Amino acid sequence: MILQKAKYFIKESLHNLWQFKTRHVFSLTIISLSFVVLGVFLTMSNNLRFRARELSKDLTVIFYLQKTVPAGEHDLIVDQIRRSPLVGTVRSISPEEASAKFAADFPDLKAILLNLNANPFPASIEASLKDPGLPTETILQFIAEVKKNAGVEDVQFNREWADKIRSLGRLAEAVGLFLGGILVLASFFIISNVIKLNVLARKNEIEILRLVGATNTFIRIPFLFEGVLMGVAGSALSLLVVLILIKLFPLYLGSSLGALQEIVGFRYLTLAQALGLVLGGGSVGLLGGLTSLARFLRI
Amino acid sequence: MIELYHVWKQYQKPHWALSDVTLSVRKGEFCFVTGPSGSGKTTLLKTIFREVLPTEGQIIIGGKNILRIPDSKIYTVRRPMGIVFQDFRLLFHKRVFDNVSIALRVLGTPPRDMKRKTFIALRMVNLHPKIWDYPSQLSYGEQQRVAIARAIVNNPRILLADEPTGNLDPDLAHEIFGLFREINKQGTTVIICTHDKELIRRFGGRVLHLQEGKLHGKDVG
Repeated sequence: MILQKAKYFIKESLHNLWQFKTRHVFSLTIISLSFVVLGVFLTMSNNLRFRARELSKDLTVIFYLQKTVPAGEHDLIVDQIRRSPLVGTVRSISPEEASAKFAADFPDLKAILLNLNANPFPASIEASLKDPGLPTETILQFIAEVKKNAGVEDVQFNREWADKIRSLGRLAEAVGLFLGGILVLASFFIISNVIKLNVLARKNEIEILRLVGATNTFIRIPFLFEGVLMGVAGSALSLLVVLILIKLFPLYLGSSLGALQEIVGFRYLTLAQALGLVLGGGSVGLLGGLTSLARFLRI
Repeated sequence: MIELYHVWKQYQKPHWALSDVTLSVRKGEFCFVTGPSGSGKTTLLKTIFREVLPTEGQIIIGGKNILRIPDSKIYTVRRPMGIVFQDFRLLFHKRVFDNVSIALRVLGTPPRDMKRKTFIALRMVNLHPKIWDYPSQLSYGEQQRVAIARAIVNNPRILLADEPTGNLDPDLAHEIFGLFREINKQGTTVIICTHDKELIRRFGGRVLHLQEGKLHGKDVG
């Protein structure tokens, strides 16, 4: 009997959604766009956090040397770095190697390099640290020690990058939740109003159902199903849109991304996030329906 | 079965649609309510199935004061009733089958039973060949018969009909009254509002005459 009733409610809801299709397609589009915004920011946050994690795994400090550093001093610096118990491997990168790597990573910018009379890249020493879990304080202490050498001009520590990317990820998530939250709230009002219109359009039917002895629940459930269906369909559609965006965006950016393509290698939402969005859509639909029925279907 | 005690109903001052109506209809009784237009026949029926609440008075059905039943439980009053409305109240976007079976669907009747009972009810009003038509494809008289089929489909304990044969030709009206009589013989209490004195004379039963909301009762046949 429950199955039979559920079948009836779903059939009724689908029939009603179809009956006022223009209204429902319009609402579905807005609901979907709201969830797309949320989905896009969540994806951005995911990707940034993933990149930050990847960077943290391979903890590297790059020491950029002055152009005038003599070969002897260069060797001394390499030696000092190698002697540190924190360091695993050390690699010296000549200005020529750096230039060649840049040209390979950014082919579009290769011409600029050729137009320059001199190689703008300094020599550098790349030190991979043994333990990615080392406290930042200890690493900074090591950097300060090496930096005492006059030949060391600048230092790049990728944990700082990781931290920055991680913060950016958090920011994207916060912006997404804020904007998405506002838009999801708008979806709630849209669903609520659509259900209100549906209730008004089916006033006659509701009256007849009451007169033949239908319970309030029997009358209300198809409207709630409509709300839930709109929410679920809207959020599911948004997942598809986000997937298409992720697949198309790198194609749109094309080769200009160069080495960045690897860095921004787009990852889709996690299964939990995708399910969360669909569940969220359903909940927004249910709440929209409940609110509307409480206000406009007083039976 | 149905008892009304000093029922008054006023829609607009100073006119009373029902004025101190007290009556008792026994279980299994066949009853006509007559009277000129605006005499309160429809209001009387509406108070019995609680579509309108009386301004004063009490209504007891099957030992229960229906005015004390909360709105959320109103279905308990209406489920044992079959009601034929003067304006039919059909769902024009649904087929004849759905219009009739809705009375069973709300009770949670299994699909097979629902189909069988709906077909039987439609055959009783001679409308079974049009089971898959929409009400808009039917004549006025046929729409009325759909409304009658919906009222009788769940074998109600009480059948209330407001001008059920108003748009039917005399032969069909006679047939429908015969049907109501048959249903009544099975123990259903039947209350029919009608103007048709010829049918009342032919079928007999208790006649309640309403005049300006006041009740004058007499037995015929």
